[in-house]
Amino acid sequence: MPATTAAAEKLLLQMVDDYTTREISPEDMPMDAAGDFPAGFMQKLTDTGFLGIMLPQEFGGAGFGPEVTAAALNHIARGNASTAVTLEGHFKTIDQILKFGTPALQKQLLPSANDRIFAFSMTEASGGSNPMGISSTATREGDHWVITGDKIMITNGGLAQVYCVLVKTAPKELSVFVVDQDMPGFSFGKREDFIGLRGTPVGEIVMDHIVVDNDHLLGKLGDGGIIGDSAHDDARILMGAVLTGIMEHELKIATDYAKERKAGDKPLTELQVTHRKVADIAMRKETTKLLYQRAAQLKAAGQPYSEEAAMAKAHGSRAAVSAGDDTLQILAGYGYSREYPVEHLIRDARAMEIAEGTVEKMRSAIATAEFNK
Amino acid sequence: MSKPELWVIAERRLDHIEPTTQQLITKAKHLAGDQFHTVAILFEATTDHLENELTAYGPDEIRVVRDDRFPTATDAEHADALEQLVKKYQPNSILFGATITGRSIAPRLQAKLQTGLTADCLDLRFDDETLVATKPSYGDNIMCEIICPDHRPQMATVRPNTFVAEAADGAAEVTTDTVTFHPVDRLQVKAAVPVVNTATTVGDASRVVALGRGAASEATIDTATKLAEKLGGRIGVSRPLTDQERFTHDDQIGQSGNTIHPELILNFGISGAVQYLVGMQDSQTIVAVNSDKDAPIFDVADYGYVGDAPAFMSALLAQFV
Amino acid sequence: MKIVVCIKQVPETNDVTIDPVTHNLDRRGLAGVMNPFDKNAIELALHLKDTATDDVQVALLTMGPDDYAESLREGMAMGADEGYLLSDRAFAGADTLATGYVIAQALKKVGDADLILFGRQAVDADTGQVGPIVAEFLHQPQITYAASLRLSGKNEVTAERLLEDTKQTLVAQLPAVVSVRSELNTPRYPTPRNIQLSFEKPLTIWHHDDLDLDDSRLGQAGSPTIVTKVYAPKPVKRELTPLTGTPSEAASQLIKALKGRQLI
Repeated sequence: MPATTAAAEKLLLQMVDDYTTREISPEDMPMDAAGDFPAGFMQKLTDTGFLGIMLPQEFGGAGFGPEVTAAALNHIARGNASTAVTLEGHFKTIDQILKFGTPALQKQLLPSANDRIFAFSMTEASGGSNPMGISSTATREGDHWVITGDKIMITNGGLAQVYCVLVKTAPKELSVFVVDQDMPGFSFGKREDFIGLRGTPVGEIVMDHIVVDNDHLLGKLGDGGIIGDSAHDDARILMGAVLTGIMEHELKIATDYAKERKAGDKPLTELQVTHRKVADIAMRKETTKLLYQRAAQLKAAGQPYSEEAAMAKAHGSRAAVSAGDDTLQILAGYGYSREYPVEHLIRDARAMEIAEGTVEKMRSAIATAEFNK
Repeated sequence: MSKPELWVIAERRLDHIEPTTQQLITKAKHLAGDQFHTVAILFEATTDHLENELTAYGPDEIRVVRDDRFPTATDAEHADALEQLVKKYQPNSILFGATITGRSIAPRLQAKLQTGLTADCLDLRFDDETLVATKPSYGDNIMCEIICPDHRPQMATVRPNTFVAEAADGAAEVTTDTVTFHPVDRLQVKAAVPVVNTATTVGDASRVVALGRGAASEATIDTATKLAEKLGGRIGVSRPLTDQERFTHDDQIGQSGNTIHPELILNFGISGAVQYLVGMQDSQTIVAVNSDKDAPIFDVADYGYVGDAPAFMSALLAQFV
Repeated sequence: MKIVVCIKQVPETNDVTIDPVTHNLDRRGLAGVMNPFDKNAIELALHLKDTATDDVQVALLTMGPDDYAESLREGMAMGADEGYLLSDRAFAGADTLATGYVIAQALKKVGDADLILFGRQAVDADTGQVGPIVAEFLHQPQITYAASLRLSGKNEVTAERLLEDTKQTLVAQLPAVVSVRSELNTPRYPTPRNIQLSFEKPLTIWHHDDLDLDDSRLGQAGSPTIVTKVYAPKPVKRELTPLTGTPSEAASQLIKALKGRQLI
């Protein structure tokens, strides 16, 4: 790595830490309580250039690589996992446009990714983990495509302005198009009221005969499955990073508390039950970190990373829930209190056992990859 | 041979003497013993008699230099005038208050004299004729002893209220001297307006009224606000109060908020969790009021009252003139 | 117009400890960051650059080892145009006087600075002395601890300075040296893109021979002060004086005590 790249990455993470401590962390508890981010919050994040961290410089972004981008989300999640997940949804979408969009589409769309949030939507009421079960369609009419359908549970749904949507272009053919909230026929539907990551908007979009040019197709017709898998892979690396951040937060809460408190006249730090829990939290954090870093490293090197990305998320999500549970137990009554963030960290982590593919699905993918070796 | 001189540079605060000057005179007298001649250097207008506020503290001499331009003189003009006196008297050491003014003039004079200056000292002593100045660093986490062995005068600025001023016997000899005032026209003081409270944040305030769970009602916060105004300070809070809309993280005292060391902190209704104590225990004077006599805050306090915090606050406010 | 902001790199945290064996400051593992107060000075310079009708060039200057370039880059990522690093073994061990001397000589070489800005003080040494020392060496007027500053005319700035209980309004003809209070502004964050682009901005490194220097005024030899002892402060032993009686009686005991300590 050139010295300037290392220096720039160091400065980026320093800035991210600084910004997280001052601007993002303090909003964590209020965002969980309100189920939303405060007014002006996204604008400040946008003005500070967070949306363009991994966007190439030719599109006005900063052009940071996969490893430091993941590390940045790791650092943000130490203070506020919802904000990190909002960025994760944006980054994975940009990644697919970079991988599959034509140069013309990239040139047209990507400069706006510095100040508009992008989202990737697959799920429908009729099909979550089974993409063939979806009913949204794109029908060719002359030079155009007409898209109709209803997408739900979209990370950043309602907040994002640009959406990659998985639709059927033939009964057995899945394709991905890019639509914009300003297009006629586009509207927002219901917003979910989830128990965790409550600062990340998750919602529905309704597409009623949206007309798009042919150049809004990502990749080729029928690439929908490939693009969807690719989006999952990219998202899972970043989720591994977010989960690492959550566990670092949990570990800090657990150790800070243990260093201050006594059980009877013995400090918590001298009790074996505390040792065991703190060591387990630390090991879970570190294994998840190594997994996401490994996946990001493979991605940066142009190697396959699908299996490692699945491991980072599958391992990390359960690890963060368990680490949260151990932290709660160390804090006992305080851990169970909503005045402390522990319970909401568990709820936040729990989301990632489901989002971007359930842990069950992830294990199937890992096992299949192993059988094929 | 006459005794070497130990100077205290008197500072003006509106129409009076800055209290740090009096504190430094007391300290200088203790340091001087029979070894040094203590001199307070006072610049004032021709009609001023601020020396009257110094005599009671008993320096050996008060050397007054009068010029009507002094009350609005700039740092460079003050430093120039001081340089002339230093050249004339060759003092062994010069002490300034580590006030904004002292910390601005002293380094300027230091550069003119090409000598050493130790900032914001918390203690002073002499080893023979060498001034050993103790200065905090790294946000008061580290103490350094600093000397200036080969250059004279030795200079230090001293943190306000580090020492206590004491009236002393013995008549100070008031002498007058003259310097040539060299005006620097490129910098002008256009206005000087007295303000009760120049602190804008709790970290910046020299007086802090700190509130905790036991002093969190609207009425109590109002009383505290008035008290802070009278003291010329700011309100700070412990963590639980940051959940209230009127306080933010910026107002919080403690490990996860601001680490502060004001000259005076009044703690009301704060029990003193460890995270809180580490954020304020280096304050110079600590007062605690809490209804729980076993509250840890009393372990670090100079003055403590076991009782109802709101009632005490109201009584204190009522007696403030 | 040219503004030079003088900055310092400091340890990331003030939680430093004393090595129990050597009694030296244990700085191992302490990453360097830009002195936080210096960011206020940079923000002021950038604000003037953003709002002035004339072209304003903002340069940063620091003295220290080569890794101080990181803080220069950070300042350039905030928006400064160029950076100067004064780096030489001969400069090491300097106290405020010797530091001020090298910085003043470097500023002469940079040339034509209309405004030289400093943060109020560095958070490690906490002196705030280098600004006034540089002002004296350059024979320029100084405004320390400025709470606000604006361009009020051609070659003129107007600033407010808060003394302990007085607000001064000062007008200076440029060039001048100004140190700023941290409440003056909220420093901007460097954007990720500007972090990348900062590596394309010029960073000039000057060593000993690049400057016109009197060797006797450099480093340890040129520093009148010597640190003879470093130690962790002992916890202050406080004697609790109880306030007694009714709230009103206790309050009057407190007022008397605080008057005795010249606190009210």
